[in-house]
Amino acid sequence: MGARTSKVDTGIGACFTASAVIHMAVFLLLAWYGSHMPPMKIQETYYVDVVNLPVAAPRAGNPSPKAGNSQPAPAPPKTPAAPMALPVPAKPATAALTAKPPKTSAAGKNPSVESSAEFAERMAKLERQAEARQAEDALKRLREKVKNQGSGRSGMPAASGKEEGSSYEAYIKSRLIDAFRDTISYNSKNPRMVVRIFIDANGKLSRKKTESSSGDPAFEISVLRAIDLASEKFPPPPNHRMFELGVIFNREGVSPNQR
Amino acid sequence: MALILGSSIIVKLVLILLLFFSVVSWAIILFKFVQVHRANGESDRFMDFFWKSKRFDTIAAQVDRFANSPLTVLFNEGYGELKKVVEGNGASEGSALSTDLGGIENVSRALRRATNSEITRLEKYLTFLATTGSTSPFIGLFGTVWGIMTAFEGIGKTGSASLAVVAPGIAEALIATAIGLVAAIPAVMAYNHFQHKIRVLINEMDSFSTEFLNIVQRNISGK
Repeated sequence: MGARTSKVDTGIGACFTASAVIHMAVFLLLAWYGSHMPPMKIQETYYVDVVNLPVAAPRAGNPSPKAGNSQPAPAPPKTPAAPMALPVPAKPATAALTAKPPKTSAAGKNPSVESSAEFAERMAKLERQAEARQAEDALKRLREKVKNQGSGRSGMPAASGKEEGSSYEAYIKSRLIDAFRDTISYNSKNPRMVVRIFIDANGKLSRKKTESSSGDPAFEISVLRAIDLASEKFPPPPNHRMFELGVIFNREGVSPNQR
Repeated sequence: MALILGSSIIVKLVLILLLFFSVVSWAIILFKFVQVHRANGESDRFMDFFWKSKRFDTIAAQVDRFANSPLTVLFNEGYGELKKVVEGNGASEGSALSTDLGGIENVSRALRRATNSEITRLEKYLTFLATTGSTSPFIGLFGTVWGIMTAFEGIGKTGSASLAVVAPGIAEALIATAIGLVAAIPAVMAYNHFQHKIRVLINEMDSFSTEFLNIVQRNISGK
């Protein structure tokens, strides 16, 4: 046999080392990039339940002539009157100007009844009275407006409802519906659980009392998790007083416990 | 990073396996790149030198300059066999080309043998690239399937099907497929590239063998 020329693969070890170094560098680069990236902001998802509006009186803030409210009807004509009252200082002048020709004509017709000085004085008095009445009306309207805007939404000018139409109970129920949709789990056929929840003045869930058990542990855990989850978004109750609500949880969802 | 650390043990094992595949395949890619690049360059230079030279012994004296070329291996094998044939016939070292046709067969066999050994050497490790290219996506997919199974199991236990619960599990699972593809794509591309380059070198070796035998035969006929 002859001396065959055979080549040994030199350099494969160096290539392994280079490859390992490249991988390590890429890994470290990605880790560095990941650590320097700003944390992803989790945008809160808002669900709007258009079927079950979270208000007690959905017509609140809506102009309605059937509401039996006596104020809406006169209000629109008065509202344009308010801005008209602003150029009041100009009015007496124009009134005086317009009033003068009839006065002169009247004076011309009956010069013996009263002198022009007396007439002018009477006219000025009447104008002052009208001016005072207008200012009083404007002030009254302004006070009413401020009073209505004081606590939030005031609705449209001819609205039949007030801001009280927005129901805290309905809002809490909608939060519970949303949370329960995520957590619902059950093993029994038709589970039903009644829970009474107590929300303190700061909007924190202070207590939850099971009034009626479903007998399905999975369902009960899911209900309690839903309440805990929803309680993260509870606002303070109106008037900052303890709020209490009985809720029925079943397979279909959440409904208030009417007792 | 959190996705990898938070994954299950099976997914972690899959990721480690894929990382091994990736490291080895990139080592082979680097090695083969250097090897094939040198083989091509030195083969071209050797062919120039071969056609410029008039005598085999002159070429044999300087063949070490082209050590990375597969053609030099062929030349060494062919020339060595030729010398043996000549020595076997009792001829002197100087009349290396004065031999009979039986000796040419020996030289031809030696060249074929050298060609085969060079093809084997050039194609060494390429099998691993092919294996990586074809199996890494499936290994990654296995990790993903396992991860999704685990995620769904967790969803079943917690009883919550919200996106916040489902999404992290699926993201952890999908990282396995992503790394599988990262390992496979360069391996497949490199495999195809090197196959093409090696095919060119094999053609060059076949041509060189034919030319070598032609030269030997012409010299014998000329005597």
